Formats: sequence, C-alpha cells, structure tokens
Amino acid sequence: MHTKSQTMASLTLRINNKDYPMEVDPQMPLLWAIRDFALLTGTKFGCGISQCGACTVHIDGESVRSCVTPVSGAVGKSITTIEGLSADNDHPVQQAWQEEQVPQCGYCQSGQMMTAAALLEKHPQPSEEQVNAYMSPIICRCGTYVRIKKAIDKAVEINQKA
Amino acid sequence: MKTITTKSASLGGNLPRREFLRLTAVSGAFLAIGCSPGMGGEGKVTTIDPAGGTDIPLNQFVVINTNGRVLLYNHRPEMGQGTFQAIPMILAEELEVDVEKIEILPSAADDKRYGSQMVVGSRSIQTEYANLQNMGATAREMLKAAAAKRWEIDISQCKASGGEIIHPSGKKLTYGELVEEASKLTPPENPPLKAPGDFKVIGQPIARRDVPAKTNGAAIYGLDIQVPGMFYASVERSPVFLGKVVSFNDEKAKAVPGVKAVVKTQRNVWGHTREGVAVVADNYWAANQGRKALEIKWDTGGLEKNSSATILKKYKADATKEGVSLAEAGNVSTVGGEGKVVEAAYETPYQSHVCMEPMNATVSVKDGKAEFWGSTQNPNGIRSQLARQLNIDPENVAINYTFMGGGFGRRSMTDVAEEAADISLQVGAPVKVVWTREDDLTQGPFRAASLNVCRGSIADGKVETLEHKVVAQEIQNQTGDKMEAGRQLMGGINTEYEIPNFRISGVLQKHYVPITYWRAVYHTTNCFAHESFIDELAIAAGKDPLDFRLDMLKNHTRYTKVLQTLAEKANWYGPREEGIGRGVSILERSGAFTGMVIEVKKENGKVKPVKITTVVDVGICINPDTVRAQTEGSIVMGLTATYKSGIRLENGAVAQSNFHDYNMLTFEECPPCETYIIQNEEKPEGAGESGLANVAPSLCNAIFDLTGVRVRKLPLDLGAIG
Ligand code: FES
Ligand code: FES
Repeated sequence: MHTKSQTMASLTLRINNKDYPMEVDPQMPLLWAIRDFALLTGTKFGCGISQCGACTVHIDGESVRSCVTPVSGAVGKSITTIEGLSADNDHPVQQAWQEEQVPQCGYCQSGQMMTAAALLEKHPQPSEEQVNAYMSPIICRCGTYVRIKKAIDKAVEINQKA
Repeated sequence: MKTITTKSASLGGNLPRREFLRLTAVSGAFLAIGCSPGMGGEGKVTTIDPAGGTDIPLNQFVVINTNGRVLLYNHRPEMGQGTFQAIPMILAEELEVDVEKIEILPSAADDKRYGSQMVVGSRSIQTEYANLQNMGATAREMLKAAAAKRWEIDISQCKASGGEIIHPSGKKLTYGELVEEASKLTPPENPPLKAPGDFKVIGQPIARRDVPAKTNGAAIYGLDIQVPGMFYASVERSPVFLGKVVSFNDEKAKAVPGVKAVVKTQRNVWGHTREGVAVVADNYWAANQGRKALEIKWDTGGLEKNSSATILKKYKADATKEGVSLAEAGNVSTVGGEGKVVEAAYETPYQSHVCMEPMNATVSVKDGKAEFWGSTQNPNGIRSQLARQLNIDPENVAINYTFMGGGFGRRSMTDVAEEAADISLQVGAPVKVVWTREDDLTQGPFRAASLNVCRGSIADGKVETLEHKVVAQEIQNQTGDKMEAGRQLMGGINTEYEIPNFRISGVLQKHYVPITYWRAVYHTTNCFAHESFIDELAIAAGKDPLDFRLDMLKNHTRYTKVLQTLAEKANWYGPREEGIGRGVSILERSGAFTGMVIEVKKENGKVKPVKITTVVDVGICINPDTVRAQTEGSIVMGLTATYKSGIRLENGAVAQSNFHDYNMLTFEECPPCETYIIQNEEKPEGAGESGLANVAPSLCNAIFDLTGVRVRKLPLDLGAIG
C-alpha cells in the first residue's frame, strides 16, 4: 500500500542547539523524531492532524506543528522545543505560566507556551486579535484558557521590565 | 535515554531503608516527577542530597531526614485536579512544617499501605482528609514525645512549629534531631487535631509544586515512557463496537520497515470483549504505517444498522414505560389536580472524554511477572486486572504511575493496560500501546446519552408535583440480563427541593454502545434536564427563577447561602443591561454545592455567553486557587459539551474522528469567569467537577431569558437560536 516511502535515511536534526543523528523514514513526522528518537518528550502528541497545537515547536523561529511536518523538512534547520525555550525555566512565558498557575494536567502546555513565545517574539505588545489568532487554535481540554489569557498579559509585562 | 527501570518495592512492615533522589531543582521546584526512578515505587531511589543524612519514616506518608528535610508521600495520581499539592498541604498542616520546605514524592501503588489510590468522583480529599490529618498529627505527636523524653518534661509542655519542637524555655530541637528517637515510639491512637480557625496552610492559595515541571517539558506522562527493549503497538479495532475479527491479512503490514509482529488482541470494557489487530514495531510511526496496510474482515453482526437516530427512537418508545421508582415522596398522581401542567423532554448525546494525552499503556510481561508504566486514575485496578488476566499473584505486578494528561474518568478504566499486557505476552517484549486521537474518539467508552422526561404541576405559584424519568444506559449494568434501573441513573437530580409530591424513575437501556464515567457523570445529563425544568416551572408559576429555587431550598442552609451569594455576586437583583439574558442553576456534586449564573447576549445574530459567575461551597477549602482552577476548567468542559460537540453514531460507528469534527471550546470563545468560594468549616468535599453540570442548564436558561427559545436538545447550535 503506502510502503513506497518507507525507506530509511540517516539524517541529523539540530534541536535546542544540539545535533541528533538518527536513522528514520524521512516521511515520518518530526514529532516522532523529536519524541521517540531524540527522546525529548516535552513536545506532545494530541491529534496528529494539525488540529490541537500540542506538538508545536519552533523551526528557525517560526512556530510549526511537528505532527504534520515531515522530518526531512527540518533537516539543516534550527529546531527549538519546550526543553530549549530557556535554560532555567525562566523565559518570560514560563515565568508568567508559573505565576498565574496555568497548567492543570499540563499536557497541552508545551504547545501553548511555544505558541505564546512565538506570538510575543513577533508582537511584543499583541492586540487582542493577535492573541486570539495565535492562541485559539491550541486546545486545552482542562480548560486553562482563563489563566492563559492572564499569563500572556503577565509575560508582556515581564518582557517590558527586562 | 530516559529509562525507567525501578520496580515497586515489595513493602511490608517498616519501609525499607532507602535513599532518595533529590528531586528538587535549584528553584525548589519539583522536577521531573514521573521520570524519577521513584515514580510509583518507593523502593530503589537514590540520594543525591548533598547534605547527606538518613531518611526515617514515621509512617507511610511522612519521612524525615536526620538533616531536617521533610518528605511527604503523595498517594494519589495527578491528572490536573491538584491533589498533588492538596494532599501534602493537609499533612503539613498537622505536622507543623513550613510548606515551602517540604518535598513531595509520589508513593508506590500499594493498596496494603495506602488503601484505594483511585482518583475518581472528586473523592481524594473528601475521603482522605481525616486520614491525612491523622497521619500528619501522629508524626507530630511522636516528635513531640521524643522531645519530651529528651527534656524530661511532659509532652503537653512541648509545642511543634516550623519543623521544630519548642521547650517552654524557648529552646528547640529540630525534627531532624528527633526523628530517630521518634520513629521508635508507638504512634498515638487519637492525636489531637487543629481547629480550622488555627489553620496556617489549609485555605492558602499555595503554588502547585507540579507546575514548574509542567512549564519546561520535564513532567513525564504515560506517553513519554521509554523502557529498554520496548516495542510500540498500534491497534486497529472494529469501527462498529463489538465487531469480531473474522480474518486478517498482514502481509503488507509486515513489509513496512520496522514492523516486528502482527497479533490479534482484545480488551474488556464493562463486560464486553473488544477485539483488535495490533501492529508491533520498533517505532510508533512504523506501527501506524503497518496498521494502515492491514486488511481485516470484521463481523459486525447487524450492529452496523444502529445510529443515534435508531437509539433515540428506542429511548422515546421506552419513555412511555413506567420505569423503576428510584426516589419518591407524596403522590404524583395528584398531578394537574388544580394546577397548571408542564411537560418537557430533554435529550443529551454521548460524549467523549478526549483527554489531551491520548490513551496509552506500557507493559512488560516476563517470567510470570508484569510491570506497568503509565498514566492511570486507577493503579490498584490495573494491578488486579493484570494479575487476573495473566493468572499471576498481584504481588508480581509492579505499577508505576506517571502524570496524566487528563483523566476525566476515562483513565479509571484498565482496558488499555490489558491490551498492552496481552500484546507484550504475545511478542515477549515490553510494549507501549498508543491510541491515536481517532481511536480515542471512535472507540469510547463514552458518557451515556440520555432522554429525560419531566412532568410537573404548579398550584398557587408553587410546585405541587414533579416527575422526572431518566431513560439511559447504566455504567454498572451494561451486560447480563438484569433489566432493572439502578440508582446510579438518577445522579444529580436534586431531591432537596421542597416539593410535596415527586417521583424519580429510571428506564434502563442496555445495548452495544460502550459507556463509562465521564467527569461529573450523570449530573451532566440529568441536571441539564432537571435544572432546565425547574426553570420552566418557575416561568409557568410566574416567579423569578432564582427566588423560586430559594423558596424551595429555604430550609437547606448551604444551598440557601450559595444562592444568596450568587444573587449578590452576579448582581441578580440589580438593574439589567439591555440585551443581556441570564440563567441560573444550582446543584450538588460530590458533596459540593455549586450555583452558576451565565449571561448571554446576541452578537452578529449569534447568541454567546459573555460572563459566568460561579459560587462554590466545597466545605473546608484546602487550596482556593486549585478550587478556582477546577471550576474554570469544568466550565470550559461544560461549554464544550453544551454547544460545541456531541458524539454522533451512524452505521453503527462514531461519525466523527478527530478535533476537526468533534470540536473543543477555544481560547477565544472562553468567556470571563468569576468564581467565589464560600468560607465555612464543614468537612472538605469534592471540588474537581464543580460547575460542570451547571453550565448546560444555566446557559439554556439564559438563552430562554434572552430569546424565549427553550433548548431541550444538546449539543445546541448557538448560531441557530432565533
Ligand atoms: S498533535 Fe500536532 S496539532 Fe495536534
Ligand atoms: S492543561 Fe490539561 S489539556 Fe491543557
């Protein structure tokens, strides 16, 4: 059936400024390369079809859904995952998320924070429309939206002080 | 490589002498819970505590290091509900230690030491409060007794505070200095407990220790588990529930690089055997690709003729039956004697849990032993399940539980672990089964769909009679011949309303659609009907809906207080803004009382909720910030179930497959929520579902208030409201 693409390739991913060589099907989504081959499990699987945002990472600074990005498309680029957002869990978004006590189960939060970080990178003073446009596609089943809203304001504030 | 190799210790009598992994990061944040070798097993944990010292247990919850470090065991898995913080807060309160300085460790899954560790029905705090107080107080009294002995004074002269015992003269001994002696003493039977007025920890909005690990990817969930030599499995299951495998061709699947084996498997869901074909591979992607290449012939035995429509038709036909009386008072046959009769029927669909972390389980079966790693609400249940299924002693089953990416009742089931164990046994290696989102959504089990038929009469502006009939499947009675409805079916129907004649009845439905517990369970369907119907009666009586409820609950102080507070906070009696509709509801779930007012307005021809005010009475509130978070989360889940999605069955199978057609409430759609917590000294009740079941009736009552349209079928289409 779809076994044609199933040829293995040796390739190297650069994630959080570190090289990860691996032998994988180049068509495999980046998500599984990050999780099951680089063993960086902070990036989560939620839907596999670009509908929830749990798998969001940055590629060359842009937020990308790793579940629908073939691993071949990420070779030679700089990938950042939640583990690489900051060295000490102190990126303004992480600080804000902690201060506002956002996470419940926490599972969606890597995707939420990677998206929020990309938002603030592009729009340090985001309008309500910009916040909605970035954050609305990221699902939180625990319903932490009320706090995400507060945390984004807080992160803007922390950014300003810095 | 993140590898979990710890076995749960075989414990008995004293805790084995052990050393602990220092889990606190520089910031004091509890890091990487779940990936710690200590997850779910107290046995082999190593110390990297630079200060050294020896850990000495005073009981199964409290361990104190001779260097003064306080370690508190948490025996309840965490799915976002916050017991990870609430349990140690209760212990710390009585132990008299600074809550900032304690370290929290997940305990082993061990029912001999901890009893049930199941996290369901918002019960952890409700049922464990007294025990935890006692554990903290016992340890404190032992430390006091050790100090009294050392100082040769009476224990009553010793005071415990901030991790020290204080002599009347002011001199002090730290818990670390006393723990060795204390551990040799007999624990007191009934240690004195604090009066709520003296609480220093309980009632404080203390930051959750699991939060930092959930902001940098360190928290480990079931899906993140890696075990040496592990394979991944993806299972194709019949889209029509209960379909049986007639035959399958795995030739193409086996040709996929990385695929190791294809095996038939099965699992049990509430008495029904569910079959599947598992593709086992050395990576998950390959397992999924192999699965797509499978050719399976299913026998669906005519069940493919079912749909939501055929099910509803049967429910409607059965609604004419008298049903089993589940609760009653007076005589409902007086209905309509003098008064006005109101009748209404309400429909709710099946709902999926869709935990953000898709279902998964990692199991290794080897040499008559089994080990499980994963996210579960029911560690003890998995132990019994694996022991039963593999025919081995429960002592030979080790359970390692991780953080859960949501539970909502779905993870109280043991079927996924069963599936993983079955496959592991067949392939002779540890196996991680990962469900896709499509598997999760199409396989269930679901929250039950229901038809609620209500009939009531009003005389002199008061409810004279009320009948409420529930037509639905019952979770605990899904197979076998027993056709009598049980009390589970009436969950959430408020029998505290002072109504002289009422009858609550159930007509049991039994068929092939799998159901199970879903956050707030039958409350989410029954309260939609009941609290909508109370509104309909209020309107018929020409009364204000809040006053109408207040009048029928006037002798119930807690309901009254919640309603009065709600009226004040939502400004119910104040001037009303033009174009705003308001709806109210009140109910009790897991001992907690919740009242909610939702305000709606029309924007671009579409009704939308614009503000939600909630008042909760959970008794003594351990951590108000967690209670607030749970309420906010419940509201979002309630809104999703009310107007975003509902499972539809077509051709015997679920019509939707993923988030594109089974929608969740989004960030943008979430209205402002204000939550108020009633302060009292009643015993703590369940807070994990507060508000969820209020959402549908409050929203639908508000829609009626604004538009005159009465919604009696969920999910509702906000765009279609006139
Ligand atoms: S897992 Fe990628 S968007 Fe959902
Ligand atoms: S915190 Fe649980 S899904 Fe968002």
